Amino acid sequence: MNILPRNTLYIFFMILTGAVFDPAIQEEALAELTARANHDHITIDTFYHGSSVSVRGECDPRTDVVIKITSPEKSSTLKQKGKVGGLLWMNTAELEFENTPALYFVRSAEKIDEILDEQEANKHVLGYKALEHHISIGNIQDESKKDKWFQEFVKFNETKHVYRQDNEKIEYTGIRNKRTYYTLFDWPYEAQPGEYSVEVYAVRDGKVIETAHSSVLVEQAGTVKFLASTARNRSALYGTISIVVALVSGFGTGIVVKSRGGAH
Amino acid sequence: MYLYLPVALTSINAFMPIGLGLAVGLLSGLFGVGGGFLMTPLLIMMGIPATVAAATDSNQIVAASSSGTYAHWKLGNVDFKMGLYLLAGSLLGGGIGVQAIKLLREMGNADFVIKVTYVLMLGIVGGYMFFESLSALRKDKKTKQTDSIEEQAGEEKSGLSLFLGRLPFQTEFVKSGVRHSVLIPLLLGAFVGILAAIMGVGGVFLMVPFMIYLLGMPMHVVVGTSLFLVLFTCVEVTFLQAYTNHTVDFILAVLLLIGSTIGAQAGTFLGRKLKGEQLKILLAVIVLVVTVKIVADLTIAPDLLLAQGGGH
Repeated sequence: MNILPRNTLYIFFMILTGAVFDPAIQEEALAELTARANHDHITIDTFYHGSSVSVRGECDPRTDVVIKITSPEKSSTLKQKGKVGGLLWMNTAELEFENTPALYFVRSAEKIDEILDEQEANKHVLGYKALEHHISIGNIQDESKKDKWFQEFVKFNETKHVYRQDNEKIEYTGIRNKRTYYTLFDWPYEAQPGEYSVEVYAVRDGKVIETAHSSVLVEQAGTVKFLASTARNRSALYGTISIVVALVSGFGTGIVVKSRGGAH
Repeated sequence: MYLYLPVALTSINAFMPIGLGLAVGLLSGLFGVGGGFLMTPLLIMMGIPATVAAATDSNQIVAASSSGTYAHWKLGNVDFKMGLYLLAGSLLGGGIGVQAIKLLREMGNADFVIKVTYVLMLGIVGGYMFFESLSALRKDKKTKQTDSIEEQAGEEKSGLSLFLGRLPFQTEFVKSGVRHSVLIPLLLGAFVGILAAIMGVGGVFLMVPFMIYLLGMPMHVVVGTSLFLVLFTCVEVTFLQAYTNHTVDFILAVLLLIGSTIGAQAGTFLGRKLKGEQLKILLAVIVLVVTVKIVADLTIAPDLLLAQGGGH
């Protein structure tokens, strides 16, 4: 009894991604993860306005599922606003937020601190509280203000739709002792190209007892990719073309308007 | 219709930048200003990163100002000679300004000094133009004079104009119908160039009041000539931004310029229907509104206490 068969718990999940070319037409890519990771694609093209990512799989009915989507950690420098002379708001310093992901989504049906021990949450960086514990803020003058600036950091990223911790719906459908879960994330257009990691945690009695992994790849394609790479790699040509197009359209409009004006 | 911007890395409703371009282009055609001081903050409000907003705006201004310069050139409103002297001065001033800002930053609290100077400058220039044009308009109604700007300026500043008249290298600026030492536009250009570099704004809208009051140029020639200046400055800025910072977003620039080229034509057309004094009073109102907006931004506690910084 005390040996939990490893195959009691299977977590399969499939990432469903779609590149939205038009609100009406949504392209979806299906993938199943067991041992192999699937490269699920979100392609950013001219009419891209965000997408959606669904996570599904099977889990033990006695567990709760926590899903986390993150981008690789980096350090980000942000300008800090403060009052100068007791009157005027302006940038007063720069704060360096270290070990922070550019995108951080955590979803669980129940509140994280109700289903997971603090230590376990910290270990797996699940939830804002654990994230605060995980990151460090460089150049901070007053260490006691760390909490305040972390809250500001979350607010800043939530405004850009790249940070989210919620208890939105995770649908469970039970078949005997196996259960499937399904949830859908809105994928923000603000999320930059790159590889995002999807972690699913099965939680019981305050502990993480199993994890499964997959990933979402966001890539630029077509015109967007061409323009972005030209801007970066052939910047002199890109700058010249931008100027020439502006000049031609400016003088062009002038000449067209003038000649039309003359015809009347 | 949403479009994805490859350099700004965000998606935007295409009609928003087109509409914004139209409005700012209209102002550009009317007053000969680049409009960067209005456009850049509005683009940031639409979710465009600040660095991309400023760089792309200068690309868009190339289109608006070439459209406007062409229209004004056809009307004989561009004083190329004056423009080139001012341009030479402002290029020199820009170089000095960049050094000055380094010095200011080393002294600390530079941002505070800059912002306060900026607000005062805008407030004084806007307020002066507003009341001056208002009294001129009233006088105009009584006497039915059409072109009293120079006379008034002459009466009020006879001491200054006497001094200016004694400077060496006097030359005739035919289009503007004025005679000045070449040193004046050179120094004026340099002064505005310094301010522009320090404040991070295009600077031409600061030059316009000086062209009217100090150089005594007729309003319509001021507009045409300053558009010519805007064109040159923004070609340079666009190239440097694209080359060194990779911050020009082509798609966004195209959307903006669709609006602004049409707007600039409409502005030039509308400008012909208005008298110099009416144009000045409108510009004064806009400058004052921007001043109030900046003061509000500085004094009201912001929603977010963090903003995007440079680098990673």
